[in-house]
Amino acid sequence: MAALKEKRTCAQRCEDFGYFVWNPDTKQLLGRTLDKWVYISLYYVAFYIVMSGLFVLALYVLLSTLSPYTPTYRDRLQSPGVVMRPNTYGDEGLLIVYEVNKPDSYTPLIHTLQNYLTPYNRTEQHAHYENEHCNGNKYFTQNEPKDPEQKLLSCPFYRSSLGKCSGMDNSTFGYPDGQPCIIIKMNRVSMDLPPLVNVYFLFFKQKGEPKNLHNIEYFPPNGTFDLHYFPYYGKIAQPSYMNPLVAVKFNSLEKNKLLKIECRVVADKISADNIHDPYEGKVEFEIEIKNGTAVNK
Amino acid sequence: MGKKGDQYEVFVEMGRDTNGEMDAKIKKKKKVKKKEMLEGMKKEMEIDDHELTIEELEMKYSTSTTKGMSSTLAAQVLERDGANELKPPKGTPEYVKFARQLAGGLQCLMWVAAVICFIAFGIQFAQEDLTSYDNLYLAITLIAVVVVTGCFGYYQEFKSTNIIASFKNLVPQKATVFRDGQKSQINANQLVVGDLVEIKGGDRVPADVRIITAQGCKVDNSSLTGESEPQSKGPECTHENPLETRNIAFFSTTCLEGIATGIIINTGDRTIIGRIASLASGVGNEKTPIAIEIEHFVDIIAGLAIFFGATFFVVAMVIGYQFLKAMIFFMAIVVAYVPEGLLATVTVCLSLTAKRLAKKNCVVKNLEAVETLGSTSVICSDKTGTLTQNRMTVSHLWFDNHIHSADTTEDQSGQSFDQSSETWRALGRVAGLCNRAVFKPGQEEIPIPKREVIGDASETALLKFTELTIGNVIDYRGRFKKICEVPFNSTNKFQLSIHELEDPLDLRYLLVMKGAPERILERCSTIMIKGQELPLDEQWKEAFQTAYMDLGSLGERVLGFCHIFMNEKEYPRGYNFDTDEMNFPTSGLCFAGLISMIDPPRATVPDAVMKCRTAGIRVIMVTGDHPITAKAIAANVGIISEGSETVEDIATRLRIPVEQVNRGDARACVINGGQLKDMTSDELDDALRAHPEMVFARTSPQQKLIIVESCQRLGSIVAVTGDGVNDSPALKKADIGIAMGIAGSDAAKNAADMILLDDNFASIVTGVEQGRLIFDNLKKSIAYTLTKNIPELTPYLIYITVSVPLPLGCITILFIELATDIFPSVSLAYEKAESDIMHLKPRNPKRDRLVNEALAVYSYFQIGAIQSFAGFTDYFTAMAQEGWLPLLCVGLRSQWENPHNQEVQDSYGQEWTYSQRLYQEYTCYTVFFVSIEICQISDVLIRKTRRLSVFQQGFFRNKVLVTAIVFQLLLGNFLCYCPGMPNIFNFMPIRVQWWFVPVPFGILIFVYDEIRKLGVRRHPGSWWDKELYY
Repeated sequence: MAALKEKRTCAQRCEDFGYFVWNPDTKQLLGRTLDKWVYISLYYVAFYIVMSGLFVLALYVLLSTLSPYTPTYRDRLQSPGVVMRPNTYGDEGLLIVYEVNKPDSYTPLIHTLQNYLTPYNRTEQHAHYENEHCNGNKYFTQNEPKDPEQKLLSCPFYRSSLGKCSGMDNSTFGYPDGQPCIIIKMNRVSMDLPPLVNVYFLFFKQKGEPKNLHNIEYFPPNGTFDLHYFPYYGKIAQPSYMNPLVAVKFNSLEKNKLLKIECRVVADKISADNIHDPYEGKVEFEIEIKNGTAVNK
Repeated sequence: MGKKGDQYEVFVEMGRDTNGEMDAKIKKKKKVKKKEMLEGMKKEMEIDDHELTIEELEMKYSTSTTKGMSSTLAAQVLERDGANELKPPKGTPEYVKFARQLAGGLQCLMWVAAVICFIAFGIQFAQEDLTSYDNLYLAITLIAVVVVTGCFGYYQEFKSTNIIASFKNLVPQKATVFRDGQKSQINANQLVVGDLVEIKGGDRVPADVRIITAQGCKVDNSSLTGESEPQSKGPECTHENPLETRNIAFFSTTCLEGIATGIIINTGDRTIIGRIASLASGVGNEKTPIAIEIEHFVDIIAGLAIFFGATFFVVAMVIGYQFLKAMIFFMAIVVAYVPEGLLATVTVCLSLTAKRLAKKNCVVKNLEAVETLGSTSVICSDKTGTLTQNRMTVSHLWFDNHIHSADTTEDQSGQSFDQSSETWRALGRVAGLCNRAVFKPGQEEIPIPKREVIGDASETALLKFTELTIGNVIDYRGRFKKICEVPFNSTNKFQLSIHELEDPLDLRYLLVMKGAPERILERCSTIMIKGQELPLDEQWKEAFQTAYMDLGSLGERVLGFCHIFMNEKEYPRGYNFDTDEMNFPTSGLCFAGLISMIDPPRATVPDAVMKCRTAGIRVIMVTGDHPITAKAIAANVGIISEGSETVEDIATRLRIPVEQVNRGDARACVINGGQLKDMTSDELDDALRAHPEMVFARTSPQQKLIIVESCQRLGSIVAVTGDGVNDSPALKKADIGIAMGIAGSDAAKNAADMILLDDNFASIVTGVEQGRLIFDNLKKSIAYTLTKNIPELTPYLIYITVSVPLPLGCITILFIELATDIFPSVSLAYEKAESDIMHLKPRNPKRDRLVNEALAVYSYFQIGAIQSFAGFTDYFTAMAQEGWLPLLCVGLRSQWENPHNQEVQDSYGQEWTYSQRLYQEYTCYTVFFVSIEICQISDVLIRKTRRLSVFQQGFFRNKVLVTAIVFQLLLGNFLCYCPGMPNIFNFMPIRVQWWFVPVPFGILIFVYDEIRKLGVRRHPGSWWDKELYY
């Protein structure tokens, strides 16, 4: 093995490498003659063309088996996620902190709400018309469309139904008064939802037992999502679908104290107990409303 | 050879007084120690004690040749010189050995990756940006992998060291010593310089001893010089060279017979044998070929990993990722690209083969040595004990004017000669009666050739021979009552004894005599032919000469035998035979025949040598024995093949001077130590190149080393076999040293990499076969292991460049590398050879690399590419069926990975929370994992062969491989469907049909490789073969 571990100087190594790059004796470039390089390149080009072709074919077959309207499986979406506005994040999750007499601290929150509700203006939704299904509290089932051009109907959700929290009468959403509104939305998933979808709030005093909050107002009343917004038939079939919302106004939150609040969506088939997903079937947030006096203390 | 020219050049210090100085020098120049040692060896040894008179000796060592030393002085000297024992070579400290296991090329890379993980985790932790503990887990896993592999390697090393330790349990030896005029037995390690010791037949010489008095003392020097003939020792100085002179007996040699007293002149490591042993430890251990191969390819892998990592680090920075993110990418690419399981696979494969070899009586000390035998192109074999039985045995007889062959096989399975002749009865009688050797008692159960005998080698051989042919010799001797005898001495060179006859009525005496043939013939006037006594005329003398020459040229030791029945009138019963006066006839005897003896080759050796030749391995004999004997044995076992001639043979045949012979015509060559000494290394190289069949005789330990080096210079991978201490430097220097387990000395076993427990040269052939097989199979294993690195790497590359959600996570990669794919890659070690590997030339270490370009390129860019396509197909399937169409995935990464976005819309308008997306990502990991698994099943099937079709090799013949596939599938299923997996190891229970998406790609891999193999088989040497055969 002596030959293999001869100590060679750097110059020799460089020279060897030089020979490897271009060997004038055999006319080899990087170990192959030019025509050999052409052959091997052509072989690889052909190989990758064929492989890419097969790959594209596989994807084509895959796509042709998919329904354009509903996903094949909903393995990960057993329960819909729940989100809220305003959605400012602190270190550990959603966090709303503002000071009653400092407009700067809550204007961004109000803006978020305003912007979020803009698509729910009546003018924005004029293209959709109400129909008889959108009145009763029962499912609005339709047949799946036969061709992509055919669109299904969806019921409009007007912001007016959010009452005091619609931002129409009171564009501050009660923030300066220390009685803030938040808006709860349930993520849309294409599935049949259970008969009653209700929203209710739990109040956590830091680490104590959960207890219900008092003196809160739900809009629409009782904090329910009307059944005629369900089921959801997918983006292509129902391009005009608007998520129904529930707004909540906290009328008597303790001031100058960080409160942890959980909002659950309650329905038979919706689970809110997945410890690995804090946003599935529920939304948690912390809120602290400071008022000037407390700050000045 | 000059006057001082010796076959043995042993480096011995310049004298006791300069001892300390020498040590200091050695310490100073530790760096150039090896060179120094080797140069130093060429110095003449300077022991002058053999030339001193007894008085001078007494002065020098303050001792007395009658009373011995005083106990107090002995105690002082013991204090000064230390115990009389060979110090075991200094071992590497255990923690260094362990640390070495943790600091290989790949391990270093994994350490770096682990550190990056820790840093990333630390930064995330500090920024309170902790989305998961993945980085921490990853770092811990990586460290665990390095440590566990390290422990495994360390354990293997430890275990093999233990095997050696078990050989070592030396029984403390006793020596008879005179101190203060008292004779006593003490432990040999308490002896000091100047002690007066007594050595008897059967003892081991306890140190280097200057003989003062001796009676018929013979010493077996074979452990030192390899000579099988015992040397007689006496008080007179016969040679200037201490190794040649008769008045020094050397440590660790055995006294066969007689008795001697002497003064110890060297003890412990300062003895000749101690010098050789320390010479052995001075010779650096050579790296094994497989270690070089693995290093070679680890370098490539590590280089590529860093190259890929760095490239994509830069790419990521340019695209606009954060520094930390880019670092994590770098780490992930390293993790994806480095074959973590490979080291374990290689170690396991090697230890499997080692186990297999151990069953065939080859114990491997150094795991890597398993493969070395397979690459071996030259075997330098010691003669005595390795090729031969190390037992003088009667091989030929000459009587009735015919040379008869005796059975020399170890188990007496050979043909015997015709024993019906009357002459044979006479010859057998002489051989049986004129013999003083006896069996040691209590050996009735042991087969005759293996019994221990008291007596010298040739008498032993004759005793065993007669015991085998005539029957119970002791009984036989009892029937012929011995009247008197004259033992052998060097002046008259014969031995005789006078016996009464078996038949009580026959009152004649029988005189039997044996000795040097020419001396015996001189004393004969008649010769027995077919039972008739014929006058010994010129014609018979000629016949005798021819036979004597013939047997002598076979390298055999020849003895002549004769007898006479003495006339009962002249020598009546009760006649007073006087052995000093020789008042009985010692001439005019009747010549009975010749018996020749040799240390015969082992029965299995010629066949094994033949197999080595067909396997393209050159067998060179290197021995300390005489050239003629060496050549005869070489011819006998096939090292010099039939029809091959040496230069000298050609010269004799053509009747021309040796100088006129064209050296190129001589295939064979016998070089003795004296010639070798005068050769430069270039001349030696030339000789090795010119003559394919080489025998080196009368070589010293250093010369063995020189021969090994010369072979290595010529680019060969050299195996050395040996048993004696004299072989140990060469054993160490060799790429693989093979020691004999039974006959081997501890020094030889220590220096060797492999030990043949049954001392059978044929086991080497098994070793070569296994070594070659494991090389081929390791190639397959590595090809299999490397392939999956591409489907592990591409997800990251696509993730970084196209910003799709990550298809395959680091922890999943580790599961592939370290769990599911280990067993299949190991199972390839059980694959049978594709062709008759023993008919191929040994691999060329410079050209036939373990991992060559074709292997890497084919694995990476063809099979690996197909696997990647399979993975991505499955990935997109899983994504699309859950709602994320392929085109949407592109560029989705930033939204997808934003933990604050709980409403990312999929292709159907559904909104996903972060956790839902995360579990979908885990689903993708699992699906990609499953794809790689399915493709790897196909991969392991195609890797069964490199050239043959899998159908030719047999689909299910490798049961281990089938089990491994089943195991792999079960493990894959377990990982997917065991509850709790999603949150621990990020495996999701996936839909069953996703297991089948990659199946067409698996079939494609199989078919494509079959086409490749078909092309390789059909068109050897073609472009296809060159580019696609690995």
